[in-house]
Amino acid sequence: MTQEHTVIFQPSGRRGKISHGTNVLEAARSLGVEIEAICGEKKTCGKCKIQIQEGYFEKFGVESKMSNVTPFTSDEERMLSSAEKDNNYRLSCLSEVQGDLLCFVPEEARGGQQVVRKKAGKLKYKPDPLLKIYYIEMKEPTIHDPEDDFLRIKQTLREQQGVVISRVDFFCLQNMTNKIREAKWKVTCFVLGDELVRVTPGKIEKYYGIAIDIGTTTVAAYLTDMQTGKVVATDSKMNPQVRFGEDVMSRISYSMQNPEGLGQMHKTIIDAINDIIGNLTEELNITSDDILEMVLVCNTAMHHILLNLEPKYVGVAPFPTAMAPAVDIKSRDLGLCINAAGNIHVLANEAGFVGADNCAVLINEEPYNSDESVLIIDIGTNGELLCGSKSLGVLSCSVATGPALEGAQIKFGMRAAPGAIEKVEIDVETLEPRYKVIGKADWHTDIAEVDTKGICGSGIIDVAAEFFRTGIIDKGGRFSKYAPTDRLRNDVDTGMPEYVLAWESETSIGKDIVITQGDVRAIQLAVGSIYAGAWIMMRELDIETIDKVVLAGAFGSHLSQFSCLLMGMFPDCDISNIFSVGNSAGDGARLCLVNKVKRKEADEWARKVRYVELTVFEDFERVFMKSMQFPHMDHPFPHVQHVLDEIPNWKKIAKEKKKRDKASAGAAS
Amino acid sequence: MDQAKKDELEKKLAEGVVEFDDDEVKEASEEWVATGEDTYDAIFDGLVTGMEEVGRLFATQEYFVPEMLMAADSLYIGLDIMRPHMVPRDTGVKGTVVIGTVQGDVHDIGKNIVKMMFDVAGFQVFDLGRDVPLEDFLKKQLETNSDIVCLSAMMTTTMMGMPKVIEMIKEKNPTCKILIGGAPITDDVADKFGADGTANDATNALEEAIKMIVALKDIQKEASKN
Repeated sequence: MTQEHTVIFQPSGRRGKISHGTNVLEAARSLGVEIEAICGEKKTCGKCKIQIQEGYFEKFGVESKMSNVTPFTSDEERMLSSAEKDNNYRLSCLSEVQGDLLCFVPEEARGGQQVVRKKAGKLKYKPDPLLKIYYIEMKEPTIHDPEDDFLRIKQTLREQQGVVISRVDFFCLQNMTNKIREAKWKVTCFVLGDELVRVTPGKIEKYYGIAIDIGTTTVAAYLTDMQTGKVVATDSKMNPQVRFGEDVMSRISYSMQNPEGLGQMHKTIIDAINDIIGNLTEELNITSDDILEMVLVCNTAMHHILLNLEPKYVGVAPFPTAMAPAVDIKSRDLGLCINAAGNIHVLANEAGFVGADNCAVLINEEPYNSDESVLIIDIGTNGELLCGSKSLGVLSCSVATGPALEGAQIKFGMRAAPGAIEKVEIDVETLEPRYKVIGKADWHTDIAEVDTKGICGSGIIDVAAEFFRTGIIDKGGRFSKYAPTDRLRNDVDTGMPEYVLAWESETSIGKDIVITQGDVRAIQLAVGSIYAGAWIMMRELDIETIDKVVLAGAFGSHLSQFSCLLMGMFPDCDISNIFSVGNSAGDGARLCLVNKVKRKEADEWARKVRYVELTVFEDFERVFMKSMQFPHMDHPFPHVQHVLDEIPNWKKIAKEKKKRDKASAGAAS
Repeated sequence: MDQAKKDELEKKLAEGVVEFDDDEVKEASEEWVATGEDTYDAIFDGLVTGMEEVGRLFATQEYFVPEMLMAADSLYIGLDIMRPHMVPRDTGVKGTVVIGTVQGDVHDIGKNIVKMMFDVAGFQVFDLGRDVPLEDFLKKQLETNSDIVCLSAMMTTTMMGMPKVIEMIKEKNPTCKILIGGAPITDDVADKFGADGTANDATNALEEAIKMIVALKDIQKEASKN
């Protein structure tokens, strides 16, 4: 019996048991991880790079080390740089598994890029930025008018533009003198509030800022025209910090266990952002010096790591942050490569796990201005909820949902990337499914080569809702023993029930893709926790129903509204009043970039929103438990009652058929 | 009460728990108590047998947290009625447990399920609650001289406190058994931390707890035979 080892690939998180001696590239393939292998494993292209992580990783229970793969080969000597060799890079086609491994697939080696589900939306308010540009024409100094350059600028700005500045950034000051003279005293001044931050020759017509949503998993950046608020270029990448931990808690743990940990993670994200800045400016043919402001949003733990603040206290109750209000930092102090005088504005954290990204959603969705009561569900890797209205005020809470829904606890779960099943429908008569795969336009039944390799969050929500609607699972989430379909079977190893969603021939991984009882349980926990959070906030606000539901977040906005309602992800609501709003956090960040009033309002409202710590409630356990049933153990769902009434009871149907068969057999004899 | 009647009531109690039928359990419990007989067997062969089945169903995921908690409710209804009428057996097993969720952690559903199982088994349980300062585990263990200390943590950040507790207790009381559990705890982690045993998550916590109860039941049965 060959020994088996645990191999995990980041950033996708795909993992499995791999036999000793298996080629790492093969192992990756069997787990659905795509690594570029252009030369077809002929050992000539050097593309299939992986980085072996060294150390003991609590969360996965693996000790990964370089010695857990076969030794370095001479071919690799040739194809990897010395920097790569020093950083534990190997070529996956030339290494074999000899022990447990945690491998990071660097961006350049990744095939099948994750679909970035963080598209920019339309801004709700006109721009009125804090950063403004003014063109002035100054008089040269003379013997009668030997005034200094700074006061000359100050005076001219006031006379010609009605703008008052009171200080100048030191870096800007250092560069001003020669620039002004090169420009023959005709310059464009960049003014941030009352501070002069850049003096540049000639008349500038357009200027840009960058808004970045630093997600736990995906970083999305929007190069924005500061005068129109429109996005002129977008760039995104997987957050490279995933190699230190898939979720925020494991990243905080990493910093607790490794003295260099915080520094490493901090550097990683700063480098990634600088990379993005480079990409964006290149796309528009401008330089990084042309960017004078950035607005960043992220959840609380990410915020601390970004600013190199000790995160460990955020990781344990009562979860106090180092800094809640918004911060302004000079780019040069943070090491971000825009103009050195540039300002980095990070939105406020609301509380514990409700961070700056939720603050961005808050300013973008404005529940505090709504006449209707609204529930905003922001699900990415973490989940934050906002609930309230103009008259009720606004509450917030956080729930742990993300990892399950994004695939980590689902047997064939994966992030949204080509090959992932993202949408599912099941016929209630035949119990046969049809599904859509990312990267293919049509339903799987209409295409020849399906090539699916797993299921992503939106797919898993759909499939659970469809199971419930067709009676394949009962209210409690249990697979029915009576549902008449070959797709229901028991796992050969564990004996637990599962449903085959995609037969092996439809997949690219050489096995059937199944949804297990365990997967359904993980969904129940995630969906139940959102309902519980929503319901407790509603109880605090003393309201029994909610008028409007908004689904936001990289992941949240791709969910089927009907599936979510049927499963009881939130309290009953008219489906026409359930909205998906895309990357509201990114839009909120952009709004704060180009509108100074909104920026201030975001900071103020972050303090006004009352954070509700769910675990403080004595009955939380009961509330949570009842929310785990579909759609709820006893709360009514009038808007989907008609669907609930139609759910087939396969046990009853089977018993009745048996009776009828018996009766007709009796009649025949 | 003749054996047949006892068997009937024990079956009713067990089924009542498995089907979380509060009325069934209440009726059967009251009927047993009305006979004036010792309720020991009713509890162990009735209620606990039912809970063992629930545990099995939970482990195979046929039952989930709601079903588990509802079954526990039914069990407690029976326990509350019958425990005052139970003649305790002297088994030589001390049966004291200190349990809690470690400092900085406020998750306790799993811990509460484990606590309940010890409770049912007749252990004396000192539940310190959640977000328990690390030193408090040692204090309570010394105060009660408990056999077992159970530590629970749901987050990788808070489980870091466990090795400290284990070290503190083992230093003062090397024979005390320490069991740890919670989502991030694995056999490897338990080994590394120096714990005596573990249960991986709520599912296995129940299995482990039930194994202990079964073992306890057997010890008690053996002891009572002698």
